Amino acid sequence: MKDNFRQSMKWLHTWVGLAVGWVLFFMFLTGTLGYFYQEITRWMEPERPLVAHHYSNEKLIDIAQNYYDKHGAGDIEWDIILPTVRDNNLRVGWREPRKEGEKRSRYKVKVIDIDTASKVQTRETQGGRLLYRMHYRLHYLSTSLSYWIVGFCTMLMLLALITGVVIHKKIFSDFFTFRAKKGLPGWLDIHNVLSVIALPFHFMITYSGLLFFLFTYMVLSTDLQTNEEQYKEMRKEIYPRAAHIKSIGEAQDMLPISTLYQQVKNTNTWKADELSYVSVSAQNDINAQVAFVRHETDITYNPQDTVVVNGITGEIITQAALEYTTAGMIHNGLFSLHEGQFAGTIARWLYFFTGLIGTAMIASGLVLWTTKRKPQQLKKPKGPDFGYRLVEQLNIGTLIGLPIAIAMYFYANRLLPLTMADRANWEAHVMFISWALLLVYPAFRPKTKAWSEQLNLATVVFIFMPILNALTTNKHLGITLSHGDWQYAGFDLTMLVIGLTFAFAGVKFKKAQRNKRSQRVNSKGRPLNINTAVESELVLNKENRGAL
Amino acid sequence: MSFLVNKFSFTNPRWHVFSRIIAAIFGGYASATASSLFISLLLQPIAGKYQAIHIGLMLTFFVYACAVMWVFTVTSASRAWLGLFKFNAFLLIGTWLLLQVNS
Repeated sequence: MKDNFRQSMKWLHTWVGLAVGWVLFFMFLTGTLGYFYQEITRWMEPERPLVAHHYSNEKLIDIAQNYYDKHGAGDIEWDIILPTVRDNNLRVGWREPRKEGEKRSRYKVKVIDIDTASKVQTRETQGGRLLYRMHYRLHYLSTSLSYWIVGFCTMLMLLALITGVVIHKKIFSDFFTFRAKKGLPGWLDIHNVLSVIALPFHFMITYSGLLFFLFTYMVLSTDLQTNEEQYKEMRKEIYPRAAHIKSIGEAQDMLPISTLYQQVKNTNTWKADELSYVSVSAQNDINAQVAFVRHETDITYNPQDTVVVNGITGEIITQAALEYTTAGMIHNGLFSLHEGQFAGTIARWLYFFTGLIGTAMIASGLVLWTTKRKPQQLKKPKGPDFGYRLVEQLNIGTLIGLPIAIAMYFYANRLLPLTMADRANWEAHVMFISWALLLVYPAFRPKTKAWSEQLNLATVVFIFMPILNALTTNKHLGITLSHGDWQYAGFDLTMLVIGLTFAFAGVKFKKAQRNKRSQRVNSKGRPLNINTAVESELVLNKENRGAL
Repeated sequence: MSFLVNKFSFTNPRWHVFSRIIAAIFGGYASATASSLFISLLLQPIAGKYQAIHIGLMLTFFVYACAVMWVFTVTSASRAWLGLFKFNAFLLIGTWLLLQVNS
């Protein structure tokens, strides 16, 4: 493409990154939010009680079992999800019998008020799950189309990462060269620092992302090598899962689950108060089994954190460890690293921040594309090219617009009428409508104005979020903090911090603009009569040409 | 008129870039698929059938990435096409030979 290898790779890096940069930004941002999807859902269902309970696990299990006996779907599989650090509420989940016209039955989780032992009536919302699902299952598109689009973009991300490393021969020494405050080198350095600082994460998340749909993307190769039967067998070998327990239709009463739990606790493999959830299979059948699962701490999906007992006799059923092939171990290990289910509070925040670093890396790359071309573009007699203007517009509309749109999703959650038909879907519509508006808006404004206005808007909507919460619910920060409900309070506080970050960015941006202007004034000795932003930039660039 | 001719004639460098992009997307995918067949047959005696297929598939993304990078490194688009063709032919012949050996 170019004269030498490195130049060609630089060219490839630039255009590959630009081609799908905005989709990748969307995937990285929503995926990063996914690390806190339970916490987001909790905030979006403010009806859930603030929990400061002193109940033992046995008592909680009894409450759940009573609830299921009264309201459940019969003798099938169901789960009790106990309060954890991520979610203070007791929840019961089961698969509703399939309704007519539905492809498959839906697994639904009900939040149980511990004190009243009844279901909490929460507003209709898809919560944090919607945000997290969007990062691989694009919202309005069909499943297979979105998998292919996401796969294409992820493949280009992998390419951008590899070429990015290749073009930086001195990648690690460059890492320590940070030249802030200068126009172009500043952005380039920021892009480099963000890339290098979390490079292993970027590679891991991108490659494992591709592995999730390995057989979809490589369908030709898979079909050539296996028939349907073999394909199923191969999948079983790659993703070994514990056998599914089915009822055989002979009714037999189970021991109460809390009694079974007490028996399990007395075994030496169990550590106190680590119960995460209980899974009941073939209830009240001669085959009944109950699995007690501790918090997931293992990245191999191996069920060594699970103790399974016979529901009738309470005997412990020893489970053979899942057998992985070497490749399967790597494959599943990467899944696990991608999802971060095993992460405790600190590791979860670390995931969140590295995810944000990845998001910022993409954003800085996109901004870099324009800053690099700006001097040249502004010199053009007819003004900047259409392509350049489009990129700048998409940058403003996505890099700032998407966060605002996500904030609008949270606003919709609080402000849409509770009885509204199709409410949960409208929350998402509000988000996408806002994004569309913010994408179009910069077309009608000078670009520097559009940047600073959207930054200001982002500042306002995020800082106002805790206030909105205080106005629309009875659980404001003062209450949640004093109750020690850190999931709820944490959301409000995080929004506040994000708002302040946008405020900081806005101030920085204005300062940079003012510096440019004052430079201009000083060098000419008098203020210029500026008709358009383009013209003023033109003058500026003539003056700065030597420096650049 | 001459403007249009220039724009759509195949000497316009944009066509060469376009040709490379097509080569990268489809030629790269073909290379990835061919490499997975070759690798899986190569590994089958050691790793077992399914694991061999699995490893072959897991490596495809890197083969794909390298193929794309190569397409944009060589001096001309026709060279890129020719090179991809050779690479695929080599892998498929290798696959065929391995099939003969294995059976």
